[in-house]
Amino acid sequence: MFKLEKSFYSKTSMYSFFAIVILFFLMWVSTSQFLHIDMALLGYMIGTGVFAIGLVIRFSFWIYRAATNKVATRSVKNLFTKERMKRNAKSITKTLIDNILLQKFIFKRGLYRGIQHIMISWGCIISFAFTFGLTFGWFRFDLVDPETYQMVAFNIPLITMAAHGWLAEIFYNMLNIGAVMVLIGVSMALFRRIRDYDVKVTQRFEFDLLPLYILLAVTGTGLALTVSYKFLDGWMHPHISLVHQITVVVMLMYFPFGKLFHVPIRPLATAVPMSYQETLKVDTKTCKSCAQPYSNDDQIADVQAILKQQSFDLQLADGTYLSDYCPACRRRMRALKQMNLEAPKGNPYGPVNTNNGIHISGFGKKRTDDFYGIEEDVKKDLGEEKEYEPVSR
Amino acid sequence: MNKIMYLEFERCIGCRACQAACRECGDHDAKERNYVEYVDFTESRQTFPMLCMQCKDPACARVCPANAIQITEEGVVLSAMEEKCIGCRNCTFGCPFGIPKFDFEKNKMYKCDMCYDRTRDDIPPMCASVCPSEAIRFIDFDEMQQLRRRRTQMNLVEGKKPQEGNKWDYVPEFFGVYTDSQ
Ligand code: HEM
Ligand code: SF4
Ligand code: SF4
Repeated sequence: MFKLEKSFYSKTSMYSFFAIVILFFLMWVSTSQFLHIDMALLGYMIGTGVFAIGLVIRFSFWIYRAATNKVATRSVKNLFTKERMKRNAKSITKTLIDNILLQKFIFKRGLYRGIQHIMISWGCIISFAFTFGLTFGWFRFDLVDPETYQMVAFNIPLITMAAHGWLAEIFYNMLNIGAVMVLIGVSMALFRRIRDYDVKVTQRFEFDLLPLYILLAVTGTGLALTVSYKFLDGWMHPHISLVHQITVVVMLMYFPFGKLFHVPIRPLATAVPMSYQETLKVDTKTCKSCAQPYSNDDQIADVQAILKQQSFDLQLADGTYLSDYCPACRRRMRALKQMNLEAPKGNPYGPVNTNNGIHISGFGKKRTDDFYGIEEDVKKDLGEEKEYEPVSR
Repeated sequence: MNKIMYLEFERCIGCRACQAACRECGDHDAKERNYVEYVDFTESRQTFPMLCMQCKDPACARVCPANAIQITEEGVVLSAMEEKCIGCRNCTFGCPFGIPKFDFEKNKMYKCDMCYDRTRDDIPPMCASVCPSEAIRFIDFDEMQQLRRRRTQMNLVEGKKPQEGNKWDYVPEFFGVYTDSQ
């Protein structure tokens, strides 16, 4: 792998190259050696290409980040540890159901926000699943007899349904249902972003509003297609179809680079119950100063490794790291240091040492006396105050 | 924004007005993001206020696996982005000063953002505007320099004079939280 990597500009470009090769191959197979390319769908082809490269690039950059890499590596390692199997299964199921399927935590942020996001996410997922599933032939509907349809997924016959029954109606209209859900969700989100002062504080147009407008355009034109052929005898159908294609291509191109990129990275949330909570919501690592539990060993080890990798010097003179102390003790240490309360009371008639060492780069360093060129007699005076152990720990 | 948050811990009288004000700030969701804590409860009732330093190279953002902590163009380090934070609390443990708070219910980190909706328009943050004892101030750079110089002079009382070799010991380290974007 290392050798291969050398022939590319970077790892990322290598992965992108493979993504494109795979896409190309899939296309070659599905268009019978490029004989059946539908020029009307060329936009989707280009859009998918950009989408794939963008996703690979963003995902690579994200996973190379020291922090992401550390957390992901530990999770993958834990995933294949025999003793953790039960815990892993529990963590993954719990995250999948609570966090991704039901998105309970968003409902805790507010019922409105919960409904809004359930509508957006599930509307999108349903629409995508249906589009991709039908176009790639993952599932299809066979007519068993004139009155009955059968759903076939990956060539495995599943449920049968009456051709005009309610279930069949739902399936015929699956894309419309998805679109309406997204429409409701996106409208709710836009309304909230117009009405609610709080969300405006950090809101940025290109990050927060653009994705909503793009989703609105996609669903709007998609629904217009249905309206056109159902109620208007296909009036303007080719035109709407083209506009719809453009909006979808824009969405595909935007997806890896904006807010929507949160969708592929959310599964990292499993890392929390899987690696970072020995027992759910119980801390096991104790603070070096107050001995209260505040975290767990694996997490602190990771945090320290990530900081070290990025050259943060948060080691103290006694060899401990700031992250070995609970947040409350860390706050206290900062205050004591700034008020210079850590020094024991020395000679009341000597100079007061107001230098608490915070200016020095890195917490572990001490300023040497040579730096100031202090004369011997002064040094003796200061000596009584210089040798001390901080009292906050 | 070219103002500086200047903290003088020993001025704190423990009234917790800053925390009450913090809860009222836009986008703070009625939860305070600053701290007022005891220096040493067994010795005295002296308290100190504590805010985020808005670091130039924030450790909290560097340890976040989801890349959820953003820094604005003014240099303010914001709370976790709503859709990215996976709730791991790495930021709380990575921050040298123990600042980021965590909401277990809503599964997201929130931290002092210097009342971004106010300070981006040069309006003092909530805590600084209510502090009765000026332990927290939102001031110009020049005023900060003056205050620092005064602190040095305070140390000269009672004939404790700096000499050539040790005059640096009389220069107070900088206090205060500041962001600059000249
Ligand atoms: C299924 C897993 C998903 C999870 C766990 C997730 C998580 C989140 C979270 C936590 C937020 C912040 C919501 C808030 O606090 O109000 C959010 C916002 C958002 N999500 Fe998702 N998301 C998921 C899937 C999707 C999908 C599939 C889409 C559509 C492509 C999507 C589109 C959006 C949009 C547009 C917003 C912004 C809403 C706003 O403007 O406030 N999400 N997501
Ligand atoms: S939370 Fe901590 S690390 Fe992050 S900017 Fe504030 S003081 Fe710095
Ligand atoms: S709790 Fe959220 S903001 Fe903090 S490090 Fe974890 S993902 Fe990042």
